[in-house]
Amino acid sequence: MAFNFYMPDIGEGVVEGEIVAWKVKEGDRVTLDQPIVEVMTDKATVELPSPRAGTIVQINYRDGQICPVGQVLVVIDDGAAASSKPEAPATPPALHAVPVAPGSGAGAIQIVDTTASRARVLATPATRRLARQLGVELGDIEPTGKHGRVTTDDVRGHRANGAAAPAASATPARAAATYAPSAIAKAGDEERIPLRGVRKKIAESMARAVHTAAHFTYVEEVDMTELVAVRERAKPRAAERGVKLNYLPFIVKAVVSGLKKWPQLNASLDETTQEIVRKKYYHIGIAAQGPHGLAVSVVREADRRSIFDISREIDRLGEAVKAGTATRDDLTGGTFTISSLGKLGGVLATPIINFPEVAIIGVHKIEERPAVRGGQIVARHLMNLSISIDHRLADGWDGAMFLQDVKALLEDPTTMFMEMV
Amino acid sequence: MEAYFELDDEAKARGLFQLVREDGTAVDEAALSGLDRTLARRLFEGMVRIRVTDARMMALQRQGRIGFYGEATGQEAAVVGSAAASEPQDWIVPALREAGVGLFRGMTLDSYLAQIFGNAEDSTKGRQLPCHPCDRAHHYVVMSSCVSTQIPHAVGIAMAMKIAGDRDKVCFGFMGDGGTSEGDFHVALNFAGVSKAPCILICQNNQWAISTPGTVQTAAASIALKGIGYGLEALRADGNDVLAVHRVVKYAADKARRGDGATFVELVTYRVSAHSSSDDPSRYRDEAVTELWKDKRDPIRRLETYLVGRGWLAAGEREALAHQMEAEVRDAIARQEAIAPPALETLIEDVYEEPTWLQREQLAELAAAPRTRAPHQH
Repeated sequence: MAFNFYMPDIGEGVVEGEIVAWKVKEGDRVTLDQPIVEVMTDKATVELPSPRAGTIVQINYRDGQICPVGQVLVVIDDGAAASSKPEAPATPPALHAVPVAPGSGAGAIQIVDTTASRARVLATPATRRLARQLGVELGDIEPTGKHGRVTTDDVRGHRANGAAAPAASATPARAAATYAPSAIAKAGDEERIPLRGVRKKIAESMARAVHTAAHFTYVEEVDMTELVAVRERAKPRAAERGVKLNYLPFIVKAVVSGLKKWPQLNASLDETTQEIVRKKYYHIGIAAQGPHGLAVSVVREADRRSIFDISREIDRLGEAVKAGTATRDDLTGGTFTISSLGKLGGVLATPIINFPEVAIIGVHKIEERPAVRGGQIVARHLMNLSISIDHRLADGWDGAMFLQDVKALLEDPTTMFMEMV
Repeated sequence: MEAYFELDDEAKARGLFQLVREDGTAVDEAALSGLDRTLARRLFEGMVRIRVTDARMMALQRQGRIGFYGEATGQEAAVVGSAAASEPQDWIVPALREAGVGLFRGMTLDSYLAQIFGNAEDSTKGRQLPCHPCDRAHHYVVMSSCVSTQIPHAVGIAMAMKIAGDRDKVCFGFMGDGGTSEGDFHVALNFAGVSKAPCILICQNNQWAISTPGTVQTAAASIALKGIGYGLEALRADGNDVLAVHRVVKYAADKARRGDGATFVELVTYRVSAHSSSDDPSRYRDEAVTELWKDKRDPIRRLETYLVGRGWLAAGEREALAHQMEAEVRDAIARQEAIAPPALETLIEDVYEEPTWLQREQLAELAAAPRTRAPHQH
């Protein structure tokens, strides 16, 4: 019989755990209490022992993924006959109405219709008591008090206006307060997808970035014609070394050069000490679409790597993200992020900072567009770069000057090579 | 009477009383010649039971079947040695790691587990964090989560015993090393000294107050020394030598029963486990030190070696004993885990003699509302 092992709350009130490493794989036999997985929470890293002896049927969260408490972490077939007990549901049933006999005691209270469940009504105990005495349902009253509080006057006024006895109030007056899609949408018109896993992580970090950082975005056009030619010339040599050369490694190099000159952008805010931490190392995050959504992989020490090396590393990280084998080091510790949509790069964007970093640039598509050079309209390979900076920690000037430097390096690749280590 | 008890106050509080060395040999054969074989056996069994139970409960916590657990693993000698010096009429006021005292005095595994699961058989109706058992029949008071608040309670109970003229009763109050930095500790010791109440205040110094090491807990050379300032006789023993623990606590208990007042006891041990299931000590301490305590200084192995040497225990007997106890614990778990949570109505009990209309209304609303249950309860 399939046994669902739900992610336990292994601290006091932790909500999720990161899978550090599985010690078993699907198909493995496990004994009772055998350690099967190492899980890290914000409090501790611990090994979880198997609650059943049997066979690992399905592992739902891979190494590096976050499993929320209460989700099925792993399914174990304990070999017991399924008939002995109904199979455990894949997701915990949400509703358990537990009937309770009304308290014996002083019998004065008649429970009428509590299924007309309502949003919590704010009222003082004295007001509640009055409503009780007058037989008025608090939820039926239009509140006039502070923060939507029902006052004693509201209760009296409602009564004076000839309100019906509570038993008659079959329709929940405050239902509109909660969005009830079933009342609006026809069956099948909507699909409800739980916000969890990678999507939830992305949601949390994006909301934090946007709500915390003061985003300022600046866009510049870059003439890539020279670099297009350089790349064409370098392609055969790259191919010899097994490197498929694209523009991203050049942009990484130009960014590192720019960051050395504008250190306020290679930084983060330590919120606990209220200190701006300027980093003297250059771990460049590459934001790209992964199989489960946005993934930022990190090219470590980009300042010490060659163009070929960076190219290979970006490829390796891309593969690792796709295969789900990316390590913690591959995905964390960046100091500055480059967001790349590849060939679909668009015209401009307002990139969201990879919090708590200070800046991010968005790379857009290179296309031949008309440009004016020496009074003549000529076709040039043009590309836009968008930079968003956290205006709390750096100024628009810093971001603009940095981007101007990056632009200058990309437009004249020889200058870029002058600065290479 | 060993020479240790004849030392002056300060020498006792700075010293370390030991009967069996780390390697399981007797410090002084003569001091152990009168050891009762049945008592030795009970001490051994009590320690093994704690170790087995703790291991099972930690596994249950990691499987999401209980919410929390705090182990006494590695401190079994301090727990069981103290428990064995108590008599049924005595009262126990514990801290976090003394559930083994309750079990030694007769609290059943089932009632211990009922509290941990917080089920309908839990005498505290599922309202406390796990590891807060209480057992009126065996005079085992529920622990207080607030560090040190229990020490004045223990002294107060002892003062009440004295006022009531209960000559033969003793109150045992436990604390950890962290507790000795709290104001309540000092208030309690002062009253214990002045009132000459029949109590034993026992500090299990496991050298870690969650992440605070003993080195920054106090500037005193030993915790026991603090007792002297309050006029208390203060003893200090090797907390991993169960026979030494029993000897000093028994000395203090006999003294209290004679009407000769309170004693402060420091038992030096080591917290080889995490503070609790929510803690990860590798973040803040050198686990190489822990390994030393787990291995060479293990209290169970020390008594085992001594008893085997004396011919009171056969090689391999410990494994058989642990096996049998583990089966008992598993059976008790199976029974207690199957018991439903306390009825919803119990939520509004015990505050007023009769629940108020407001409480009943809230209960009715709660009962009618949709609810989820923890997944493991399916």
